[in-house]
Amino acid sequence: MPFFTVSAMDNEYIIEMKKITKAFPGVIANNDVSLQIKKGEIFALLGENGAGKSTLMSMLFGMYEPDKGEIIIRGRKERILSPSYAAKLNIGMVHQHFKLVSNYTVTENIIMGMEPEGKLLGFLPYVDIKSAERQIAQLSEKYGLEVSPQAVISEISVSERQRVEILKMLYRDAEILIFDEPTAVLTPQEIDSLLKIIENLRDDGKTIILITHKLEEIKRIADRCAILRRGELVSVLDVKSTDARKMAGIMVGRQLVFETDKKKAGFGRDILEVSDLTVLNRDGFPVVKKASFRIREGEILAIAGVSGNGQVEIANAIAGLMKIESGDIILDGKSIKDLSIRERIEAGISYIPEDRQEVGLVLDFVLRDNLVLKQYYKNPFAEKGIRDGKQSDKYAYELIDKYDIRSARLTDTIVRSMSGGNQQKAIIGREIELNGKLIMFVQPTRGLDIGAIKLIHNHIIEERNNGKAVLLISLELDEVMDLADTIAVIYSGEIGRIAPAEELSEKEVGAYMMGVGGHKTEGDKV
Amino acid sequence: MKSKHDKLIVAVVSVLIGLVAGAVIMLILGKNPFSAYYSLLSGCGLAPKARYAGGKNILSDFSDYLDFITSMFFAALAVAVALKTGLFNIGVSGQMLVGGFIATVLIGYSSLPAGIAKPLVMIIAAAGGGAIGALIGYLKYRFNINEVVSSIMFNYIAAYITGFLINTRYVDPVSRQSKDINEAARLTLNEIKIGSYKYDIPIGFVFAVLAIFAVAFILDRTVFGFELKAVGMNREAARYIGINVKRSMVVSMLLSGVLAGLAGATYFLGYVSTIQPKVLPSTGFDAIAVCLVGGGSPAGIFFSTFFLMIISKGSTYMSSQMGLDAEITSVITGLIILVCACSGYILQVMNRIRNGKEKKEGKA
Repeated sequence: MPFFTVSAMDNEYIIEMKKITKAFPGVIANNDVSLQIKKGEIFALLGENGAGKSTLMSMLFGMYEPDKGEIIIRGRKERILSPSYAAKLNIGMVHQHFKLVSNYTVTENIIMGMEPEGKLLGFLPYVDIKSAERQIAQLSEKYGLEVSPQAVISEISVSERQRVEILKMLYRDAEILIFDEPTAVLTPQEIDSLLKIIENLRDDGKTIILITHKLEEIKRIADRCAILRRGELVSVLDVKSTDARKMAGIMVGRQLVFETDKKKAGFGRDILEVSDLTVLNRDGFPVVKKASFRIREGEILAIAGVSGNGQVEIANAIAGLMKIESGDIILDGKSIKDLSIRERIEAGISYIPEDRQEVGLVLDFVLRDNLVLKQYYKNPFAEKGIRDGKQSDKYAYELIDKYDIRSARLTDTIVRSMSGGNQQKAIIGREIELNGKLIMFVQPTRGLDIGAIKLIHNHIIEERNNGKAVLLISLELDEVMDLADTIAVIYSGEIGRIAPAEELSEKEVGAYMMGVGGHKTEGDKV
Repeated sequence: MKSKHDKLIVAVVSVLIGLVAGAVIMLILGKNPFSAYYSLLSGCGLAPKARYAGGKNILSDFSDYLDFITSMFFAALAVAVALKTGLFNIGVSGQMLVGGFIATVLIGYSSLPAGIAKPLVMIIAAAGGGAIGALIGYLKYRFNINEVVSSIMFNYIAAYITGFLINTRYVDPVSRQSKDINEAARLTLNEIKIGSYKYDIPIGFVFAVLAIFAVAFILDRTVFGFELKAVGMNREAARYIGINVKRSMVVSMLLSGVLAGLAGATYFLGYVSTIQPKVLPSTGFDAIAVCLVGGGSPAGIFFSTFFLMIISKGSTYMSSQMGLDAEITSVITGLIILVCACSGYILQVMNRIRNGKEKKEGKA
């Protein structure tokens, strides 16, 4: 039995993941990742969205099984096939989205699935809520969680709910606690107290794994930090002895250098002017805070930022998919903030959305219909409400040629069956051919191979050279550095820095993306 | 295209499995399944009977059969239109009842001449059904009330209100149903004598066939139909391309309700001429199954209605001829639907595998 020898050697580690590989159709989420986590440490997993952090931890929590590699817990090789088996191994996870029944009390939520049973009159079984409440109150006090066991979930705040989730793990005797982006939903004060709680837990001997892309938090509490990029482990650092900027650099790291033939910029008049834009999410929480910028003819403005900092909401607000709370959006001299989505399209906005499959395409329509998706109701594709299939087909063939969209049955192909790169080429072709004034690319090359990326980059530059105003929103720093004429860096819904691309170094942009870039200084205005 | 073949295969396979399973049951009961199935056909005028009652022949049976299935065409189309927009109209029965009832009391008991009464019956029933459908759509639009819940509730509201009005105002004391409507308003021409035979001729059938072509045209060729389908397949994308998603849903439910109202007219003022108080016509529910077997497309619905209805219509004659309980046909229909639903799943899996392969090939 080989793993017994392993256990004898490395028993300072509570978790070892060895050469873990996990692939989903079309994507390798984790490639040959090996981690060793010590008992009683706060171990952070840092990486951009899609870097494979959550997948890696989901394997530890029993949501997925690795394709290759092995997981060793407390020196024993384990196959963790379900979350309940993970719980048996004393592994608990606080998910980004809480899993609580909102009209139950805190105690009821916590004990659900393992209710303490009492016997009434010595034989009638009942759920012993009282003793559970006492136990939960004790746990809450011990770790400074400040949760009232009798409170109803729907009446307590988000941060309290999160603490209920923590209690849920503790009640189940979890020794290894995984936190998936725990601070994403919290205010700064709440973050402070959460980090304090996490430290308490560590001091009590628990092992903490913290998934995050916020450097500041790691700097404050983590002992060690693993950085993942595109599914691969880049490095494991000792947090105390590493500079935050260096970590930022490693996290967004540059690996591909593209030669793009970019002519010198020649800006024309203002096309898009966004002023003091504030956007709220569904919970009424501001996700874009007083953002202002302008884009001129022939200019690529790139918004750089770590995922979830409000950049996608800016594009959605411009397209009319999200309501704006305050501020104004002016397109070519006219305010468009009260126009409908379609009126904005007609006013000259092309939009390549982040989610190409769920938003950009109707996957069960054929390619022909998807290529006329924004023009199907207009001449020559329809007249008096009757569609002209032949015209659509002719147009679709032109686009297939021009944009090199490959598919098995040409215009009759169901788009669902096409590869991601060709789906994206279809969207980009469709949007460019609308020939608007402003064209917005959100994460245009995510998940694509190098060939498709290069093609799409060329299209973006060509549009700029043709005098369009281009808004590029990308999580890839390379892409931003390569393509942008002007760079705006967004962090936590605020544009922290906006400057001509040549004035900004990659390092500087990276630092602002992490919110560690300092404040705006004089002379930063464009 | 492959997907159309798939739907056809599913339908044919499930019908076959249903029939074979039915045959096994019949064999266990000691009956000859071939003659049982033959008698189903004879019951619908699709095969000759051994003997006919006075004034009846194979053609009169067949026209009676067409009369029977007319309302099903409309009802199944009503389900299909809503489904294309991603909505489940389970309230077709209630909409049929409302349309049928309003047409009955406004026109059925009037002394209008046939040439005016008959078109009015259809228009009024369509408006009645459409109003309920649109209301369900509006509740979804305005208050985000799930259409399944509200359409079920409207079924009850329709059944009890019309039941109350029939019992208090329009009841025939002998039959305990609403009074028979005047022949002038009826969409089935009763006992028309041609030669020495009498036929019940369903005028509505012509309109049902027209409706199938109309719905197919709307869905395949019009801007409006394109929007309904886009909303049904991907609401997010529909919104992104500038379609007013909520309005599309209301309009889709309106159209669905109109078709349900027409089903009500051809049923309550066609195939029958009275309304049983507080009873929802089963047509509206069976239509869901018919639509499913027909793959949700108008052409598919044409064939699935035609074939599935043979089984229910022919059951009476089969049971009298063979001494088999008519309920066995419900078993067969049930099995067909069950297999059909499962095959949908199986095909999905097959498609996924096939798509996976295509992807790989495409990349290579």
